[in-house]
Amino acid sequence: MESNKVLIVGGGLQGIQAALGKAEAGAEVTLVEKFPSLGAERIPRDRIIKPEEAFVNPGLDRVRNHDKINVLTYSDLKKITKDNGKAQAHILKHSLRVDNAKCNDCKACIRVCPVNMFDDFNESFGFRTAVDFFNPGTGEYNIFKEDQPVCQRTCPAHLNIRTYVAQIADGKPLDSLATIRERLPLPGSIGRVCPHPCETACNRQYLDEPISICFLKRFAADAEINEGIEPVYETPEKKYSEKIAIIGAGPAGLTCAYDLAREGYEHITIFETLPVPGGYLWVGIPEYRLPKKLLKREVDLIAKMGIDIKYNTRVGKDISFEDLQKDYDAVFIGAGCHKGLKLRVPGEDEYEGKGIVDCVTFLREQALERSPEAKGKLIVIGGGNAAIDSARVGWRMGFDEVYILYRRTRKEMPANPWEIDAAEHEGVILQYLAAPVEILGKNGRVSGMKCIKMELGEPDASGRRRPVPIEGSEYVIDAETIVPAISQATNLDFLGQDHGFDITRWNTFAIDEETGVTNIPGVFAGGDVVSGPDIAIRAVAGGKRAALGIHDYLRSK
Amino acid sequence: MCTGRMDPALIAKAFKNGLDGLVVVGCYFGDCHYISGNYHAQAKIEVTRRLLKHIGVNEDRLAFRQCSSGEASVFVRIISEFDAGVREIGPIGQGGDRVKGPEIFRELKVAEAVLAGEKIRWVIGKRTPFLETGNMYGEIFTEHEFNRAIDMIIVEETEVQKILLKLKEGAQSVKDLASALAIPAERVFRYMTALKRKDMVAINGISGRNPLFQLAAREV
Repeated sequence: MESNKVLIVGGGLQGIQAALGKAEAGAEVTLVEKFPSLGAERIPRDRIIKPEEAFVNPGLDRVRNHDKINVLTYSDLKKITKDNGKAQAHILKHSLRVDNAKCNDCKACIRVCPVNMFDDFNESFGFRTAVDFFNPGTGEYNIFKEDQPVCQRTCPAHLNIRTYVAQIADGKPLDSLATIRERLPLPGSIGRVCPHPCETACNRQYLDEPISICFLKRFAADAEINEGIEPVYETPEKKYSEKIAIIGAGPAGLTCAYDLAREGYEHITIFETLPVPGGYLWVGIPEYRLPKKLLKREVDLIAKMGIDIKYNTRVGKDISFEDLQKDYDAVFIGAGCHKGLKLRVPGEDEYEGKGIVDCVTFLREQALERSPEAKGKLIVIGGGNAAIDSARVGWRMGFDEVYILYRRTRKEMPANPWEIDAAEHEGVILQYLAAPVEILGKNGRVSGMKCIKMELGEPDASGRRRPVPIEGSEYVIDAETIVPAISQATNLDFLGQDHGFDITRWNTFAIDEETGVTNIPGVFAGGDVVSGPDIAIRAVAGGKRAALGIHDYLRSK
Repeated sequence: MCTGRMDPALIAKAFKNGLDGLVVVGCYFGDCHYISGNYHAQAKIEVTRRLLKHIGVNEDRLAFRQCSSGEASVFVRIISEFDAGVREIGPIGQGGDRVKGPEIFRELKVAEAVLAGEKIRWVIGKRTPFLETGNMYGEIFTEHEFNRAIDMIIVEETEVQKILLKLKEGAQSVKDLASALAIPAERVFRYMTALKRKDMVAINGISGRNPLFQLAAREV
C-alpha cells in the first residue's frame, strides 16, 4: 500500500481512539461525524455538572490538533464508489446555520426558541431546543433544520407538499397551484391518476387517516379552471440557443421540456408517434379517470412556452435517430413502455389480432376511438392497474360479460385497492387463483381459453406467495376477446441495429443516476424507458433529472 | 400612536383589572403611515385572542377592526356592533366565559406574564415577515403552519409561566409544583429541565430525595 488513507465514520469515543491509533501508525485519517461536535464534547446544561468538572475525552485535543487527522464535523457520508480497486467516499459537509463569528454566547436564542424537539444527541432521552450550542469550549451554536417532510421525501418528484397543502388550508388554492407548478407541470392530471405513495407514507395515518395529498392537488388545479384563469408559464429573459430533441410527449418528455423551457432553452422539439399528446396519460389511462380535455389543456399550456410538438412522427421511421443526434445538441428519450408482454401459451400467436389484443393496444385503440366492436365475453388476464383499466373500459364499451383472471388472490393484486373495489362495483367479475394454459379457437377466431387452478405456495422474491398449479384442475371458459394485461416492455426498435447503447437485461436504458445521461454523451433517458412500467410521477421525476443533466451538459460543453 | 405599538401584555392587564371588552381600530391595510404597523397590530390581536381562548376567556371580548379617520359612520357602526356583542357576553367572569371569576383573574395574571415573556413576543414579531417575505433562507410560511406553532407555544408558555409564578413564592420540588398546579409531574419535569438548560431556574438544595428548584438570578 503506497497511499495509506483511512476514513473513520463516527466521532464518538471509539471513533476518536481509532483515529488516533491509525494516525500514530502513520496513516492519513479523515474523521467524519454527523453532529457539529465530536463525541463527549457537548456537555448538556441540564446535568448537575460544572463544565470544569466534566469528563472530557482526553484524546479530543490531540485529535483536533493532530496534523495527520482531518476532522469533518456536521458531515454526512453520502456514498462510496469503487474505482480501480480504490474506494472513493462522497462526503457532504453542512454549514452551521448560525454565524458563530458574530455570536456572543448570550443564550437569548435558546431562551426564546419556539421549537422543542427530542435531543437527538442523547438518543432522544431528553428535550432540547432547535437552536442549540454544541461545544461549550468553542461556543459553537447551530440551528437544527429538519429534513424534508416524509411525504416530500417519498414523492419521486419531491413536490413541496407541506406548503401546498397548507396554502389550501389558508384558502389560497391559486398560490398552492403555483407552488405545485414549481416542480410539476401536470397538476390536474397527476392529481387525478397518481397512486400517491406520499399518502401511504403520511404520518397522519397513525392518528386517523392520511392527508388526501393527491386530490388536494386536483382541487388546486380545478380551482383555476373554475375561476376561468388561463395562466401563461413564464420563461426567463435570458435565452439559450441550443437545440434539444425529446422523443415522446409523455409525462417524462413533457416535464423535461417544461423544465428546460424554464431554464431558458428556446428550441425544444418533441417527437410523438401518436396523433395525441400525453403518452400513457392519453392512451393508457381511461377517460373516466382522466378527462382528455383537461390533459389537452395542460399540454397546451406547456406547448405555449415555445415548445414544438411534432405529432405522428415516429423516430426510426419518419426521422432516423442518427439524424436527431446530428441535428440536435442534446436528445432526451422518454419513449415509454408501449409493448404488451405475451402470455407465452399455445395458440396465442395463431389468434393474434383475431380475438387476442394486448392491453396496451386495447386501451390505445379505445382512447383513439377506433376500437373494434364489443360483443360477447371479455377476459382480462392480470392483476395490475392496466388489467383493471382494461376491464372497466371493456365494461363501458359494451361487452356482455367482463372477467378478470388473476393467478393469485386479491391480497396479492398489485392494483390499487380502490380501483379493484370500483371494478367489482361496476359488475366486473374477478376470478382469483387461475392462470391460462392454452388459447382455443374456432373458424380463425378465439372461442375460449383453457385455464388451470392455482394454489399459493412459498413466498417468492417479491414477498408475495408464489402460485402453484394444481394438477388436473384444467377447465375451459368461453370468450370472444382475451386481453393479456400482465406487464409492458420497452420497444427500442427505433434505435436501429448498431446503436451502441448500454441496455439492461430488462431491455431498458442504463443511465447515470445523477444526471440521467446514457453511455453516449448528449443522449439522456428517463421515464418508463429506464425504469420499466411504473407510475406517472416517477416518469416526471425522470424527466426532471434529465432536464438538469441536459442543462449541465450543454453549459459545460 | 400606531395600533402596531399596542402591547399584548397591556391588553391582558386591562382584562385582569376588570375590562369587559376591547376593540382595536386600525387603518386599512396599505394605508399605514409606518407601512406595516396595522399588519403587526393584526398579528398581535390574533395571537392574544388565541391565548384568551386557551385560558378560558371569551375571545370575542377582543377584536381588531379597520376604518379610516375620515369614515365617521363606519367608526360608529364598528363601535355599536362591538358594544352590542360585549353586552351580550356580559361582565367578565360572570357566565359569558368558559372559566368563572375569581379564577379567571388568576388565569389572566398568567396570560399577562406569557404576553410579557420573551418567547411569545419574538414569535409575534416574526409573524408578518415570516408570512410575507420569509425567513433568512427565503422560506415563506403558511398561516396554517404559523398558527399551529403559535398554539403549541401558547399551551407550553402558560404552563411554564404558571411554574415561574409559583417559584416566585420560594424554592419547590417538581412533585409539589405538579400537585399545586394540577399539571402532570412528567410535564413539569420536562419544563424544569428545559428551564434549567436555559439558565432560568437553578437547584437550590435537596429535600429528601427531591431536588428543590428556585428562580435563577438573571444576568442583565
